[in-house]
Amino acid sequence: MKPQQFTSTTESSKAKFPWKLPYKAQMRLFLLPYVLGTIVLVVIPAVATVLISFTEYKAVGAPRFVGLQNYRDLLGFGLVRTSLRNSAIFLLLAVPLRLLGALVLALLLQRKGRMFGSYRAAVYAPTIIPEAAYALLWLWIFNPVYGPLNLFLGWLGLPTPDWLIQPGTARLAIVILSCFQIGEGFVVLLAGLQSIPRSFYESAKVDGATWQQSFWQITLPLLSPWLMLLTFRDLIMSLQNTFTPSFIITYGGPYYATTFAPLLIYELAFDYMRLGLAAALLLLTYVLLGLIVLGILNAVGLGGSADEA
Amino acid sequence: MFKRIGLLVGLLTLFVWLAACQSAEKATVTFAVSGDAAEFAAYESLVASFSEIHPEIDVQLQLVPSDSEYRQKLATAFSAGDPPNVMLLNYRRFGAFVAEKGLAPLENYLAGSEIIAKSDYFPQVIDAFYLDGSLYCIPQNLSSLVVYYNKGLFDAAGLAYPANDWTQADFLAAARALTQDVDGDGRIDQYGAGIEPTISRLAPFIWQFGGQLVDNQEKPTRLTLDSPESLAAFQWFVDLQVKEHVVPDAVAESAQDSESRFLNGTLGMYFNSRRSTPTMRTITAFDWDVAPLPRGAQTASILHSDGYCMAEQTTNKDAAWTFIEYANSAPGQAIVALTGRTVPSLISVAESDAFLPADSKPANGRVFLDAAPQIRRVPIMVNWSTIEETAGQEVERAFYGHVGVQEAAETAVTLTQPYFDEANTP
Amino acid sequence: MKRKVGRLLHSGVGLAVALLFLLPIYWIFTASLRQRGLPPPTGIEWWPSPATLENYPYIFNLLPMARYVRNSLLVVGTAVPITVFIASIAGFAMSQEDEVWRRRLLIASIVLLMVPGASVWLFRFQILRWLGLIDSLWALIAPAFAAGSPLYVLLFFWSYRRIPGEVFEAARLDGASAWVMWRQLARPLVRPTAVTIIILSFVMYWSDFVSPVLYIFRTDLYTLPIGLQLLKQLDPTNWPLLMAAAAVITLPVLVLFIFLQRYFLSDLSIASLMDQN
Repeated sequence: MKPQQFTSTTESSKAKFPWKLPYKAQMRLFLLPYVLGTIVLVVIPAVATVLISFTEYKAVGAPRFVGLQNYRDLLGFGLVRTSLRNSAIFLLLAVPLRLLGALVLALLLQRKGRMFGSYRAAVYAPTIIPEAAYALLWLWIFNPVYGPLNLFLGWLGLPTPDWLIQPGTARLAIVILSCFQIGEGFVVLLAGLQSIPRSFYESAKVDGATWQQSFWQITLPLLSPWLMLLTFRDLIMSLQNTFTPSFIITYGGPYYATTFAPLLIYELAFDYMRLGLAAALLLLTYVLLGLIVLGILNAVGLGGSADEA
Repeated sequence: MFKRIGLLVGLLTLFVWLAACQSAEKATVTFAVSGDAAEFAAYESLVASFSEIHPEIDVQLQLVPSDSEYRQKLATAFSAGDPPNVMLLNYRRFGAFVAEKGLAPLENYLAGSEIIAKSDYFPQVIDAFYLDGSLYCIPQNLSSLVVYYNKGLFDAAGLAYPANDWTQADFLAAARALTQDVDGDGRIDQYGAGIEPTISRLAPFIWQFGGQLVDNQEKPTRLTLDSPESLAAFQWFVDLQVKEHVVPDAVAESAQDSESRFLNGTLGMYFNSRRSTPTMRTITAFDWDVAPLPRGAQTASILHSDGYCMAEQTTNKDAAWTFIEYANSAPGQAIVALTGRTVPSLISVAESDAFLPADSKPANGRVFLDAAPQIRRVPIMVNWSTIEETAGQEVERAFYGHVGVQEAAETAVTLTQPYFDEANTP
Repeated sequence: MKRKVGRLLHSGVGLAVALLFLLPIYWIFTASLRQRGLPPPTGIEWWPSPATLENYPYIFNLLPMARYVRNSLLVVGTAVPITVFIASIAGFAMSQEDEVWRRRLLIASIVLLMVPGASVWLFRFQILRWLGLIDSLWALIAPAFAAGSPLYVLLFFWSYRRIPGEVFEAARLDGASAWVMWRQLARPLVRPTAVTIIILSFVMYWSDFVSPVLYIFRTDLYTLPIGLQLLKQLDPTNWPLLMAAAAVITLPVLVLFIFLQRYFLSDLSIASLMDQN
């Protein structure tokens, strides 16, 4: 920064802004659109949704307060258990796979150089495909007879499963397609890797550490805060992101195998027109996820460190 | 470089905004439908001809791509107190909106109309829009389930075309003959028939076997899929796939659905309502026609119908009614009927050239009208669509051989019972 | 020698991974080039024969796709600049706040990041209606005034925090306004972050499918994702057509991404993206 440069610019600005708010107030003004917009478009609707979870609300007509009745109804509703079980299976498979994939790819592609820059771009590319197009694409890829995946597997002489027709493989299919959209975690972990000072590795090398030793003793411990943050974000985002594929590709089937919580919430709200019940399931799902996050935090002994993200 | 691109984007955006700005001031009626582009074209011409006669009313057409998005949009709009003034609803679904007083009763409007009268319509279909003694929608169409068949494939197999009184046995014989492995690679590539494994497809066969869908058509308290007659019909239906293999199995259906197989000339007979007709008319490679449902011990078919309903919250109800009235008058129904999408609910239009033009397919279009006396309907309940979907899951499971008919029927009865109980508790 | 083999192997594996991730995109485009009405392929087909571009004009004739493209462009053209601007000033202000407020805003933003989209569907409709924005493209642009997503504000915040305090000190002593500080001192230093937000928010507005379904009733205001759904409704298993539409909707984001990725994924921007030491 050249000092002369901003002296002149600030002088010209004095002429432009004769009115003068205190600096702090100006900063608050900068925050105003974000804070106000978020309150109006996110906080108020979300709080209203929490409130209607305690009402009987059928879209038409006014909501009627029923206390905890919706939550009691949820417990007796078989599909709720199915959807929570499906969601748990999905998260158990998808979150570790997505994180592992992002980590391995970040380690593999962190090298400098033009080619590796393109490789990183290629790994990120599926993440930017609009989700409606992405779901349609996979609906075609998983077509049991004509889809490119099974034609490819057949060409290699491998077994060709009936992807979307069997409950197990249908769930797996949703996991697989989610594993191609890991751009965000990939970029975050690349950033994490870059923040590790090179000198750590160099001194480890001097001490005669192998590649594996430096990974376990330097890379992983220093990446763990990033991995933790990603785990929490992925638990929430990847569950939410099951909605479009389960809606467009399988519509919850075969036989409820891909009825994940977000899809059931949608059905409760717009097919059954029981908006209060849908809101209650939404809340229940996220309370359960919150408990899982707290559980992980406790297990790792890092209680409260999420605040520092 | 960034600045220049930014400026360019800004200018372009501004330009397009200015071009997009328009305004209009008139009595406005919003009218929502769901469907594909062909249906949209039909309603567009309906609205256009309405505005010629009633220039003082501006009808705004709202098209929603598919049924599920349509329901999402309606629920959101109703909950915000801003529903469309007029909407087209299926008779299996309008109950959900009536339950919370979302729809305006139309009996008095119809009684006071100088253009249309209740007796102008097929009685079976107007009855379908009564709930608890009030009429809520004016039906625009009455379709029944029919069999579309590929004449070319019948000729190639040396089969006679289906007669108007053909039986389930005739149907099965034809389906067997039409199911072939044409290229001899060991995989069936031409199927005899295609039918969706849903309640609305199964129901007419249950009636043909003398069974019932529910215990009491007027005040249903349980599904009766597990009665001996219903089970026999269910077994017959499921056997088409599981035992006879004349319809595509789960893998084949998911690889290419029955409708597109029919369009491509690799499926002999396809079960659907009138809604397929515009699509079928795009076929150029072969000749096709329609036949009534094959008959069992009794004849029966199932009603498909949509009605024009008015939201209770409509401010200008008279303008909304004027539109509903026009849409269901002879000229209005004739416009929509010309697209081939609907079977008019007005007897006079159904019998006219608008529905039965001499030179257009299907040649045997009369079967839609001849089915009218045997047409039956599902019960009218506030949550019937939920019951139907839940039971449909079990039908599908049995149809693709994952579970026996008995077990599927019992599961369907158990799983739907809470919805019946809910509907019957005041 | 051994080192060279290792490097070669590394490059080879990198290439293989890159190709694997490009495969879905490749399949969109090759499938869209297949002639309509041909029987589906029975063996793996790396390039359709005959390849044809006629599916593209066909879908533009079948549906008013040009109008949908225009509406989508209008939305992103308006929403992305607003989003970047509001997220940038908010992130800047956050980085300048005192410890207590910074922490509060940070925690609030992270919590808001976790709010599932479904929870705002219903009542956002009511708020937008109250604001008179239902049935206008502004309903789709509205989130831009809340910076699009708290994530974008956080990304800007983390970038601004990395700027050493001395950069601003002289200007502050000189009585510079917040506007000048942001515009002339801070903003030029976080350009890679701005590029990141451009890409992320472009994708968000461009792909948004639920908002137009809920908030737009006039068919002349439909956007591309709705067009795709309309096409699917029309002909659910006509893959060449559906993939052509998918290609139309994917191409603009892909081009933007290829054009900007060297800023987005460059070594420098990755380091500055979420590094907060």
